[in-house]
Amino acid sequence: MKRRNFLKSATALSAPVFLNGLQVAAMSNSSLLPIINSAPNDRVLVIIQLNGGNDGLNMLVPIDQYDKLMGVRENIMIPENQLLSLTDTLSLHPAMTGVKNLYENGNLSILQSVGYPNQNRSHFRSTDIWTSASDADEFITTGWLGRHFDPQHPTFPTDYPNEDHPDPIAITIGSLISETCQGVGTNFSLAIRDVESLAPLSEGAESDLPDNYYGQQLGFLRNAIAQTNAYGDTIIKASEKGNNLSSLYPEAGANGLADQLKIVANLISGGLKTKVYIVSMAGFDTHAEQVLDNDPTQGIHASLLAELSTAMNAFQDDLKQLGVAEKVVGMTFSEFGRRIQSNGSSGTDHGSAAPLMVFGNCVNPTIFGDNPVIPDEVGVQDGVQFQYDFRSVYGSLLVDWFEASEADVRSYLFADFQYLPIIQGCEQTTSTNDLPIIKGGDLQITNFPNPFIQQTTIQFDSNDEWIKLSVFDAKGGLIKVLANQRFAKGSHQITFQDSRLPTGNYYYHLQTDRRQQTGLMIKL
Amino acid sequence: MNRRTTLSALMGRKITTTKSAASTKLTSFSLAPYTGEWTSERAAHLLRRTMFGPKTEEIALATELGLSGTIDLLFEEKPMPEPPLNYSFTMDPLVPVGETWVGKIYTADEGNLRTVIRANRERSLVAWQMRLLIESEMSIREKMTLFWHNHFVVQKSTVRDPNYLYDYITLLRSNATGNFKQLVKDITVDPAMLFYLNGRQNNRRNPNENYARELLELFTIGKGDLAGPGDYTTFTEDDVIEIARVLTGWRVFDYLTVNPDAPRGPVFVSNLHDLEQKQLSHRFDNVVIENADEEEYNVLIDLIFQKPEVAKFISRKLYRWFIYSEITEEVEQTIIDPMAQLLIENDFETEPVIKTLLSSQHFFEATLIGPMIKNPLDFVAGMFRQFDIKIEGNLNQNYRSFLRLDQTMEVHQMTYLEPPNVAGWKAYYQAPAFYQSWISSATLVPRMQLTDLMATTGYRFSGQNIIIDVLAFAAKVENGTDPNVLIDEFTKILFPQPISQAQKKALKENLIPGLPDFEWTVEYGDYLADPENNDLRTGAENRLRALVKAMLVMPEYYLS
Repeated sequence: MKRRNFLKSATALSAPVFLNGLQVAAMSNSSLLPIINSAPNDRVLVIIQLNGGNDGLNMLVPIDQYDKLMGVRENIMIPENQLLSLTDTLSLHPAMTGVKNLYENGNLSILQSVGYPNQNRSHFRSTDIWTSASDADEFITTGWLGRHFDPQHPTFPTDYPNEDHPDPIAITIGSLISETCQGVGTNFSLAIRDVESLAPLSEGAESDLPDNYYGQQLGFLRNAIAQTNAYGDTIIKASEKGNNLSSLYPEAGANGLADQLKIVANLISGGLKTKVYIVSMAGFDTHAEQVLDNDPTQGIHASLLAELSTAMNAFQDDLKQLGVAEKVVGMTFSEFGRRIQSNGSSGTDHGSAAPLMVFGNCVNPTIFGDNPVIPDEVGVQDGVQFQYDFRSVYGSLLVDWFEASEADVRSYLFADFQYLPIIQGCEQTTSTNDLPIIKGGDLQITNFPNPFIQQTTIQFDSNDEWIKLSVFDAKGGLIKVLANQRFAKGSHQITFQDSRLPTGNYYYHLQTDRRQQTGLMIKL
Repeated sequence: MNRRTTLSALMGRKITTTKSAASTKLTSFSLAPYTGEWTSERAAHLLRRTMFGPKTEEIALATELGLSGTIDLLFEEKPMPEPPLNYSFTMDPLVPVGETWVGKIYTADEGNLRTVIRANRERSLVAWQMRLLIESEMSIREKMTLFWHNHFVVQKSTVRDPNYLYDYITLLRSNATGNFKQLVKDITVDPAMLFYLNGRQNNRRNPNENYARELLELFTIGKGDLAGPGDYTTFTEDDVIEIARVLTGWRVFDYLTVNPDAPRGPVFVSNLHDLEQKQLSHRFDNVVIENADEEEYNVLIDLIFQKPEVAKFISRKLYRWFIYSEITEEVEQTIIDPMAQLLIENDFETEPVIKTLLSSQHFFEATLIGPMIKNPLDFVAGMFRQFDIKIEGNLNQNYRSFLRLDQTMEVHQMTYLEPPNVAGWKAYYQAPAFYQSWISSATLVPRMQLTDLMATTGYRFSGQNIIIDVLAFAAKVENGTDPNVLIDEFTKILFPQPISQAQKKALKENLIPGLPDFEWTVEYGDYLADPENNDLRTGAENRLRALVKAMLVMPEYYLS
């Protein structure tokens, strides 16, 4: 069955739907739904794309692994006493005072080690995977938000804008529309560089479109012109009505990301009902000179993180002052993290998983997941093993923020969806001391022997639930799915054996629809 | 059919207003020579795809020469352009104004003088490149130079050294229709590339795999489907590591050198080179590469080129550059495969395969005439070229004007020597949008503002008014006193396909609002009889400006 067809039937059914042996429709939205003051129609998602592959290990440093990291990336490590402490075992890059401020105000959620199975280390392919939310070996030309919008706007762009939908569905700040919003027929995002440049365009005289490639492209151009004109008006009106109040924005031109977010805050406060905004910054591909030789707290990566952190903090401050903070959630993403080992050019090469930040008044202000475990012997290609599949982050936001059903999310996004309570209520928390750290570690999973030579046995507890247990190599490649089924309540053991595997670092990854845990297994 | 094409065929349809079941209307899947009628429309199509903005007289010449005569002319060897000059900067101690800075080093740093000299040289380089596009002769060379630049990307903001950037673009230009394999070899040790993809930092103790990965993924064999952990069908993650080791040892002297003895070009430093064996994966038949010092990269590239996928990969890219973005199963089998075969038979000489493609029945398929959205350089430089927009003035004014034009390219999202990243411009790889990625609210507005400006008031810059000479453009039309003939002939130059009667009528409203045809015949005829008469001249000119302005904002003008 094709995805689209499945989606239709899945939404039409009220009876339970089974996917991967897991009954998914048993849970209604409302049982998950946190208390959010804003109406679903008013809610906005802001996506910050970090192009190039962000070095998560230098952004969010696991202090309990600091010595091991020193062993393999000493030339780029930030001195421990310069880091900004978040918890007992986690610290931020010193350039990220703004992000630390968000965390202390209860406006930041961090998910550790977000990635996907069979990590692809090509920028372009991995960006495609993140924007389409496909499996690593699956080629999908639609974007994850495009598939979310498709059933809601099946005729788009014909007869849009209209009375019910007067505003753009999604806006990209910049000149290029975002692949995340690519639907089956068309892209839902409108690209704007700035509000000033939205002058009305000439639409020219019409003619019939020939039924061929030429007609298709001509039709596309005519549509693009007509839509720019139609939406231009509403955007300009919203901008005139809207405002910016924060004094934390750097001066125009000094921080490209802040300039983009300032436009977003302005449009939201002006009442534009656009659901998704996409902003971006580039330069994270730090193969060389990631840090300065004489001062590792400075350099390309430090400048990038300072720009990101300052912009996020100013934006959040602006939203609060504008009185729209409860309508907005922001999320960062980057196509991959970088290698655990640094290279000899004071840089890092393409790696695997990395932390992801979600921010706003209504986020669960906590850190999801365990610190990455750095092995004693780190291979040259080793990356950080993923704990959370990025599609579970997307899906959880769709469920809680955009009120998509979990069944829909499983059908058009990710069959192995794991719900994560990233959105909480919008009540202000007073102290970060009370914040629960959401660990994977309550799953009671171990393996023995470890290290192992021939085989190792993985033991875990089930609470009568669906469990997927997989083994990955240190490059993020999926070696084997050991189990993907319902397990009765109690303790279970599964033995892993593959005599052809080279020695080195491996990871088990156990996932249920609510929890996950990874662990390091060493083959000798 | 590979999986990507299947899925994009299923999911990638862009236009919701047209149903496109049998929409491609392709009938000829053949590289066999085109034997149909040779018309000015066909000639204009060939020139539009191979040049920037063909002019009225060039289309006439190509119509007269016929297909093979035009192809021969387009591929004729032309002398290389004179190098860029120092156009105004009086503080460069080694390069007086009016002389070239190419090959010149810097003097010892005095304050930030070196930085300023570097910036001036870079401005001279990009202005020079913009002029080459607009003043290019009837040749495929500039289109192919840009093709290779989009293929072997470097960014000037990373490379920084104008000399190395000049060497890089000169390498591409002099091999524009040359040997692909040789070009890959040359680019591998090209100083700008060694800077751009960190090859100069790649040494045996600290291998840097940035270049190795892109050499495989973007420059030669491409990345296939994921076949297993770290295995991309065409190569593996381990190959990236091993190939990085093959390429160790190449250095480039720093770009701001003041040392007159510093070698200009790549330097092989043998004690930075990894002497051990390199073991490639089963994707390369488990070949072991033995140490061959500074010859080792040649051994490697010969080895990569033994894989048939290399020829297919570059053929697809040429197809998307010259023909269309969508590669169906039939196109793959009947066009791409034979192109690849031809490349292999000719030991990767590109000229025979490009000539065959441009002369083929397939190239002149009706559905393939006009569906390519012009990239911004084609749009802007093409407009300057086809309207003969004059940029003159003395050396300083001339360079400054071209520089200004280069700087405006940023809002159009395509700056020469500054592609967005190592994969090049999205329009040539990102499915399903491809060429459509040039178009957004943010880029439509500046395109239309630019054509409005050039058609109406022009812009005063550096002592000249840069503007379309509409009278000169109209004078190329025979019997232009008939407004219908005039509009028809303009259409043939500016649009890839004929337009409807309703559109012609609307255009005529711009030329002679609410007036009968003979009013144009009389007024324009009077002007032609007495071109020095200011009243007559201004009257005709203003009407023509209104017509050209209206034509240049039509979406048809965005297509090639």
